[in-house]
Amino acid sequence: MNFSVVTSQFWSLALQGLALGLIYSLVSLGYTMVYGVLRLINFANSEVFMLGTFTVVWIEIHFLNHPVASEPLTGIELIYTLVIALVGSMIACAVLAVLVEIVAYRRLRSRGASRLASLISAIGVSIFLMESMRMYTESRPQTAPRLLEKWSFGEIAGANFRIDTMLAIVAPIIIFVILDRFVTKSRLGKAIRAVSMSEENAKLMGIDINRVISMTFLIGGLTTGAAAFLYTTVYENTVFNVGFNMGIAAFTAAVLGGIGNLRGAFYGGLALGMLEQFASAILGSQWKAVTVFVVLVLVLLFKPSGLFGEAVQQTRT
Amino acid sequence: MNKKIVSGFAIAAAATLALGAVATAPANAAGKKEVTLAFQGPLTGPDAQLGQDQFPGAQWAIELYNATNPKTKVKLIKADSQCDGTVAANIAPGVAANKAVIGVIGTSCSGEARNSFPAYRAGGLTMVAPSASAVSLTDPKAPDRGFPIFHRVVAHDGFQAPALVRYATKGVTGPKIYLVDDQTTYGAGLIKYAMAPAKKLGVVGTDSVPRGTADWTSVASKVKSAGANVVIYGGYTVEAAKFFKALRDGGYTGILAAGDGVNTSDFPELAGKAAEGVRLTAADVPFENLLTKDELASFTKVTGVKVPGLYSTTAYNAARVFLTCIEQGKLTRSAIQLCVNSSTFKGAGGSSIKFNRYGDIIGGADVGGYLVKNGKIGYDAIA
Repeated sequence: MNFSVVTSQFWSLALQGLALGLIYSLVSLGYTMVYGVLRLINFANSEVFMLGTFTVVWIEIHFLNHPVASEPLTGIELIYTLVIALVGSMIACAVLAVLVEIVAYRRLRSRGASRLASLISAIGVSIFLMESMRMYTESRPQTAPRLLEKWSFGEIAGANFRIDTMLAIVAPIIIFVILDRFVTKSRLGKAIRAVSMSEENAKLMGIDINRVISMTFLIGGLTTGAAAFLYTTVYENTVFNVGFNMGIAAFTAAVLGGIGNLRGAFYGGLALGMLEQFASAILGSQWKAVTVFVVLVLVLLFKPSGLFGEAVQQTRT
Repeated sequence: MNKKIVSGFAIAAAATLALGAVATAPANAAGKKEVTLAFQGPLTGPDAQLGQDQFPGAQWAIELYNATNPKTKVKLIKADSQCDGTVAANIAPGVAANKAVIGVIGTSCSGEARNSFPAYRAGGLTMVAPSASAVSLTDPKAPDRGFPIFHRVVAHDGFQAPALVRYATKGVTGPKIYLVDDQTTYGAGLIKYAMAPAKKLGVVGTDSVPRGTADWTSVASKVKSAGANVVIYGGYTVEAAKFFKALRDGGYTGILAAGDGVNTSDFPELAGKAAEGVRLTAADVPFENLLTKDELASFTKVTGVKVPGLYSTTAYNAARVFLTCIEQGKLTRSAIQLCVNSSTFKGAGGSSIKFNRYGDIIGGADVGGYLVKNGKIGYDAIA
C-alpha cells in the first residue's frame, strides 16, 4: 500500500485515468451500440480496433512516408497527417465493422439461425482477423513514429497537461457529444432507438431493420477507429493481440456502465480508467486487474444492469 | 469404419515404412550418418530478436563442423517457442517426439525452459541453453529445476542481478532505486536477486507490471512521486520500450537500466529517443571480440549477419558442447546426456566449459555492461 503517491500525484493520476478511460469508452461504444440493437456482444470489435491501430501505423509510415525514426512534425503538416490518420482509421474500422455484420450476423439472421450462432460466428471472425495479422506481422510489435512532439501546456498541481493526453481527452468528449445528439435527435438515431426498444414494432413502423443494424455497426466502427488512432498516437505501438486486452477492458467498461447504453459506456470507461490508474498506483500494478473485477462484481451485485442500466433506459440505443 | 478404408490405411502405412527404410538406407550404406539438433527460442513474436540474435551463433558452429566433412553430419532445426512458456509447453512434446533430435540448443528465455522440462525429461533430451538465466532453473531446491536434462552456458541471474545494480548505480551519488519486474520467470527472478544489493544502496519503491500492459503512466507517476533517480527493469524489450518512453515523457531524468532481456538489437528502435543512455547488462562478451578477422568474415558469409548479436557467443558454445560429444561418437540421447554431464568443453575464445550437477557452468562468468548511444547498443565495461 502506498498512499503517498495519491497525495503527491493525485491530479496527475486523475488526468491520465481520464485519458485512458475515454479511449476505453470509445471502444466500448462498439460493443454497447451493437448490443443495443441486437442484444448480442460483438466479439469482433476488439479486432476492428486492432486493425485500426495497424491502419494508423500504415498510413503514417507508408502512405505519408514518415519512417519510425522520423522527427516530429509541426504546423500544417502535423495537422493534416493526424487528420488523415484519424479519418483513415475511422473509415477502415467502419468498413470492417459493416463487413463483420454482413459476414457474421446478417446471413445467419436472415436464415433465422439461433442468436448464439451469430455470437460464435463473431468470435470466429475475431480469431480469423487476429491470427491473420499474427501471421502477417510474425507476431512482432509495430512501432509508430512519434509525429506529435509531446510538449506540455503546463503543469497544474502535479498534473502534466501534455498534448497527447489532452488530445485523448478532448477528442472523445467531442465524439460523445455529437453521437449523443445524433442518437437522440436525428431520424436514423430515432430508428436505432426504436429497433433497440422493440424490433417487431420497429419493423411494423416501416423501419428497415437491416439498414439500421448496418448503420449501428458503422457507427461503432467509427468510434472504435477514433480510439485506435488515439491509442496509437498516445502509446506509439501496436501488436497483433492489442485488441484482446483493449476488448476486455472496453467490454468491462460497457458492462460496468450498463451495456446497451451510450452514457453508460462513457461513464463506465471513465470509471475503469480511473480505477486502473489508482489501483496500480496505490496497490501495485499486479493488483490492477483484480481491483477492476472486484469492483465490477460488487457493482453488478447491487445494480445488476450496471451503473446506468436503468436510469437512462429511455436513451437506449 | 469401412474395412476397405482400414486396409487402405494399412497399405499406406506399410508403404510409408518401406519408403522410409529405403530413403535412409543409402545414407547408412555410405557410412554417413546424420543427427539433428534443435534450436529452441523465440524466432517470431514480440521477443523474436532475442532468438534471432542467438541462432546465427549456433548455425555457424554447425556449418563449420559440417564443413570438416565428419563421419556424422549435423542438421539444425528450429523450434520457435516465442519466449512464451505456454507456446513452449505446446511445442516441446513435438520436438521430444522427433526421434532424430538428440539435443536441444535452447532455450533463450527462462519461462520457455521451465515449461519445456516435462517433455524433454520424459524424452531424455538434453538441453544446453544460451541465455535462460533464471536462478530457479538450476536451483536444487526449486520445484521447477531442470535437473537432470538442463544445462546452460550463461551465468545465472544470481550473478547478473548484483552486477546490474552495480552498473546501474555507477557514478550515482546517493542512488534512490526503483525496481520493476514483468512477472515472468526471468523478470521476477532477476529483480528478486537485485533486491538485496539494491537495498544496501537505497530502494525507494517496487512494482510488478504484467506483460501486455499498454498504459505505463501510473507506474511513471509512482517513480516520480518516490523521487527515484535509478530505475531498474526486469523484463523484456517490448515492455521496457513502453515503460522507458512513459518515464521520459513524464519528465523522468534519472538513469534507466535493465538486464539482458532488454539487450536486443531492436531495443533502440522500439524505444526511440528514450533508449539513449539506457544501461544494460548481459552475461556475455561480444562475439566479434573473440573472433579473428577471418572467422568474423566466415560468420558473416554463413549467416548473413554482419555484427553478431547478443549471446551469439553462448549459442556458439552451446552448439560446440553438442558437437564435441557428436565428434566423440555419442549419437543417442542417453549417450549425449552422459557426455554433456561429464566432459569438459572448449568454448569460443578458448574458454573452458564444465557443468556442475545441476547444469550451471563451474566458475561462472563475467557480466558485461552495455550502453545505448546514438541508437546503438555498445559494449561498455565489465559491470
